[in-house]
Amino acid sequence: MVNLTIDGKTIEVKEGTTVLNAARANGVEIPTLCDHPQLTPYGGCRLCLVEVEGARTLQPSCTLPVNNNMVVHTDSEKVREARKFVLTMIFSERNHFCPYCQVSGGDCELQNAAYDEGMTHWPLQPNWKPFPVDASHPYIIMEHNRCILCRRCVRACGELVGNFTLGFEERGADSALVADLGLPLGESSCIGCGTCVQICPTGALIDRWSAYQGKETDVEITKTICQGCSVGCGIEVLTRDNRLVRIEGDWDAEINGGVLCDVGRFEPKTDERERVLTPMLRKDGALKAATWEDALAVISSKMKSSNGKAAAIASTRLSLEAMDAFNQVCRAAGIQSVFSSEESLPTAAAWKIAEKVGKPFESKLDALKQADCYLLIGEDLTKDHQVLSFFMKRNLPAGASLIHVGSADSGFKNYANVILPVAAGKEAEFLGDLKTLLNGGDSKATAAKYGLNEEYLAESVKLMKSAAKPAIVLGSRYDYKQPVETCQAALDIANAMKAIFISSKGGANSLAAAQMGMDDAIDLTGAEMVILAAADDKFSQTFMKKFEKVPFLVVFSSYVSPLTASADVVLPVRNWLEQDGHFVNLEGRLLSAKAALEAPQDVLSTFEALEKLAAGMNVKLASTWKDALKTTSAVMVD
Amino acid sequence: MKIKRSMVLVSSDPHSLDKGAEAVYQRFSEELKAFDLSDEISLSKISDMERSDVAPFVIVYPEATVYGPVTPDDVHFLVEEHLFKGRIATRLQAPTKELTGKIAWLSARSGTLPAEQRIVLERAGVIDPDSIEDYIVHDGYQALGKVLTGMSPTDVIELLKQSGLKGRGGAGFPTGSKWQFVAGTKSEKKYVICNADESEPGTFKDRLILEGDPHSIIEAMTIAAYAVGADEGYLYIRGEYALAQARLLKAILQAKQMGFLGENIFNSGFNFELHVHGGAGAYVCGEETALIESIEGKRGEPRPRPPYPTTNGLWDKPTLVNNVETLANVPPIIRNGAAWFKSFGTPTSPGTKVYTIMGNVNLTGLIEVPMGITLREVITIYARGMKDGKQLKLAQTGGSSGSIIPARLQDTPMDYDSYAKAGVSMGSGALLICNEDTCVVDLAKVLLNFFRFESCGKCNPCRIGNQRAFQILTNISEGLGSMNDIDALQDISKWLFEMSNCGLGQTAGSPIKDILNHFREEVEAHIQQKECPAGVCAMSGKSTQTV
Ligand SMILES: Cc1cc2nc3c(=O)[nH]c(=O)nc-3n(C[C@H](O)[C@H](O)[C@H](O)COP(=O)(O)O)c2cc1C
Ligand code: SF4
Ligand code: SF4
Ligand code: SF4
Ligand code: FES
Repeated sequence: MVNLTIDGKTIEVKEGTTVLNAARANGVEIPTLCDHPQLTPYGGCRLCLVEVEGARTLQPSCTLPVNNNMVVHTDSEKVREARKFVLTMIFSERNHFCPYCQVSGGDCELQNAAYDEGMTHWPLQPNWKPFPVDASHPYIIMEHNRCILCRRCVRACGELVGNFTLGFEERGADSALVADLGLPLGESSCIGCGTCVQICPTGALIDRWSAYQGKETDVEITKTICQGCSVGCGIEVLTRDNRLVRIEGDWDAEINGGVLCDVGRFEPKTDERERVLTPMLRKDGALKAATWEDALAVISSKMKSSNGKAAAIASTRLSLEAMDAFNQVCRAAGIQSVFSSEESLPTAAAWKIAEKVGKPFESKLDALKQADCYLLIGEDLTKDHQVLSFFMKRNLPAGASLIHVGSADSGFKNYANVILPVAAGKEAEFLGDLKTLLNGGDSKATAAKYGLNEEYLAESVKLMKSAAKPAIVLGSRYDYKQPVETCQAALDIANAMKAIFISSKGGANSLAAAQMGMDDAIDLTGAEMVILAAADDKFSQTFMKKFEKVPFLVVFSSYVSPLTASADVVLPVRNWLEQDGHFVNLEGRLLSAKAALEAPQDVLSTFEALEKLAAGMNVKLASTWKDALKTTSAVMVD
Repeated sequence: MKIKRSMVLVSSDPHSLDKGAEAVYQRFSEELKAFDLSDEISLSKISDMERSDVAPFVIVYPEATVYGPVTPDDVHFLVEEHLFKGRIATRLQAPTKELTGKIAWLSARSGTLPAEQRIVLERAGVIDPDSIEDYIVHDGYQALGKVLTGMSPTDVIELLKQSGLKGRGGAGFPTGSKWQFVAGTKSEKKYVICNADESEPGTFKDRLILEGDPHSIIEAMTIAAYAVGADEGYLYIRGEYALAQARLLKAILQAKQMGFLGENIFNSGFNFELHVHGGAGAYVCGEETALIESIEGKRGEPRPRPPYPTTNGLWDKPTLVNNVETLANVPPIIRNGAAWFKSFGTPTSPGTKVYTIMGNVNLTGLIEVPMGITLREVITIYARGMKDGKQLKLAQTGGSSGSIIPARLQDTPMDYDSYAKAGVSMGSGALLICNEDTCVVDLAKVLLNFFRFESCGKCNPCRIGNQRAFQILTNISEGLGSMNDIDALQDISKWLFEMSNCGLGQTAGSPIKDILNHFREEVEAHIQQKECPAGVCAMSGKSTQTV
């Protein structure tokens, strides 16, 4: 511990703490601009300067580590003058005519800082060179004229996202933000995650879908989780008059620490699917609007008459409560085959292996974030479960290595040390041979066997062997011909190397679905009736094709789709933003989702709809999902 | 090992090459063979000596005779007369009275300039820089041998501390203490870096050392590595120094072949690997932490400090960074002892300093003199007085980030302490001597233009402050200034020092502070009378404003 005095107050903090954090922890506010809690301190803006007794000049509190007996003044005349000077400089550098800016009036950290210092005008006449506005990106507008060159975006893109798209060109007075080496953002390597927009203190990076739709003070903010995939990122949903304004990453969320991918941040805002607003029944070949009572009555009588010759499928976007109720209703009606929409993904494969082994073997995401060598199998994590790839890519500059067993054309081609394109169906066998190589085998023969470059293979083995904290990541969204064998082979390598093992799984509640036993390949033969709890899921063409010949199809859905068009009964349910519920993410963490919007009238949550159906069928529902999660799984569920 | 009795240097700067220097060099090589002299006489190229008047020229040592301009047809005669028969070929000698520029120190060997004291430039221009044998004959690698076979790292550091050597890169930090900090930081891996970025305008002292005596730096770095416990080093060299870079690479190869670099040097079990890394033209990359970032492949921006490179340097490992001239002092100190070193210079700033003299004087060039001589001595003795009998108005030290020194301080001894006491700074050793025709507004404008361009752009006071100060000075020089501008300039200058992250920003305001301290009336004349007393500024906006 270190003792120091800040503004006359003697305090004690841990060694290595910065003066800024020491001050904040003790209720002393110091203004900052380039600093951000999620980023490495930079020391560029110089707004946080403080007086340290004995120091030759003012010192940046954001980068300065505390020292024993240090005496710090954060509110002296000199410090306040210095702040005004630096703000004066910033306002004079580029176009800061606030009234026209999207963040003016509360959302701009520069403007707020100036008000806090009592500034009402620019003491120095601005004198800037205008920059063109870059509006080439589908989600983001880069307005250089508002940029204060704080590099928060640059550091976020590198340190948090691991994408390294943003940087600075030129030096001195000509310094300017650029994407790649000067490409328009829309043509650059940017993946549209929007982290830079969220972290920009001014109106220099704007989300074009939410710009000018409401300041932070005009909106309601709901903290919940993204249900786009199994990672379960913490988000803040900004709404105004029951309308979605914007989604932001929750900086305080343990899982993602503020980052999101484009699926979580921008897709909900650009979703143009048509809502199902009322229950519908097929009459004389056409779907007609109906009441909930009529529609549910048709379903329960059909369930009775089909006498167990029925199948049921639940989207993995269903909450635990809804999934649990769905299972109970279906089983009460004698339906033996309850599937999830993710049939036979390795999620289920891992669970099967766990049942055999009798204990969990997958690691937590924190371990993934700490690893220094990644063997990624299958899935292109730059397309699905993208935030997982952020955790990996951002460690690369510090020397972590990345080996991808998958398509040579994956999004990792610019990042991976090695890509090993192993033919589909050969993964399990290859991993077996790789394990042998790790014990010193003949890489030449193995390379020849799989048509791989021998040098690359040898390099992979070298990288894996030299790693201190290796991680084996099994990408689940991949068309493995032998999921169980592949999973087992990957696990064998992990065990042999004492590496951590993580599989990406599928949708938001994919792990729970596997644990509730909904893990078989979908088989609809002989089913006179099929019930599909589609929720707000988007299904592939191949998936939807399975339902073409179903004699009687019931669909619970938020949106109109080819499935609802061919269904016999359609029930309108809420989308993910309109309902509460629980989820288990890929590392077994129990997460709770909160509704941020009110649903349209007559639209029920899937759980409520199932409750009604159960009541009509005289089925008593019990809350059993907590027990279901306790069954042995590849992941320890908390 | 063969010892050469004579050395022939053929000028090979772009201008000389343009005038046919390569053919002259080729011809020498042929003629030396023809006379069967190749074994006795070494032949090499030297870069710009600023004798464009006689290019291409040839210097023959040990006589230090300069011939020029030389054509290929002259070569046969030269070799026969001077090298074979041993007579100076007076017919082809360059006119000595025109000796100017950097060549001045070369003729110093024949005693034309008094009191020059060579320590770091002892061998430059004397030995063949491409020959490790020549270096060895001139005491080369003796110091390394002495260190590795008989001294502990602590002994080396103690000796350096006793010698009182201070860093010649600008800040004057005691070298022994810096080595001790690095040695005292526990780490499996450490680095030593030689800072050869030398980007101060008008400074080329490090280049002369590197081009003329590359092995001395390799030797010094190896000693430094041993003393601090490093096994890997980087020589970060200014990108424009192509010849120096080529010579260094060659020297490294030679040193490796002879076992002075690499594994198990002098059978001591000590290993040292040395890389050369070229800069890309940014002045700020001479700042040690920006330099480290640059080696790491990042944008050259200075880091916050603490932590200092001595604990968290290259790849976050303890790192020693020293200037070329600093390092060049190390082998002689090891060979001759601390007392010998302290016999030069002043008690608190021992040793010598290399200066580059520029400006309105009769003789410009490079000198190595004991610490503590005065500006007046430099001007009258080495620079042979002010040009055209004009008066000294001021001197600017350090290229850009030194001080503007008014004539009245010309008797202050040039050493770290005396200068610090007088509130001025020595900088890197450039001396720009200005006469009464110099306008201080113009001078400050030129310097601020440099800083606004060379600031790395990281911190606001420096990036924006230099730009704004430059604009204000431009206005003043055009007759568009107001008295408020003086306050604004003073503010910027003060906050640049107080608020900047690195030395660039911290010193960028000095020209403003200095001219307002020493020449305020002159600045005010630009504003109030709309006149440039020195007649330099165009004052082009004057008419616009009065209309
Ligand atoms: C803007 C700036 C430029 C610098 N350029 C150089 C340079 O070109 N060469 C150099 O040796 N030191 C330069 N320095 C000083 C170095 O940061 C460092 O202090 C020096 O290399 C330490 O070596 P020394 O202790 O041997 O003097 C520069 C400093 C600043 C702030
Ligand atoms: S959107 Fe994401 S990937 Fe694109 S520049 Fe911003 S942080 Fe980088
Ligand atoms: S765009 Fe925003 S975050 Fe990036 S440097 Fe400019 S002001 Fe900072
Ligand atoms: S003072 Fe200037 S050169 Fe130094 S870090 Fe700041 S902006 Fe860069
Ligand atoms: S917040 Fe410390 S320098 Fe920007």
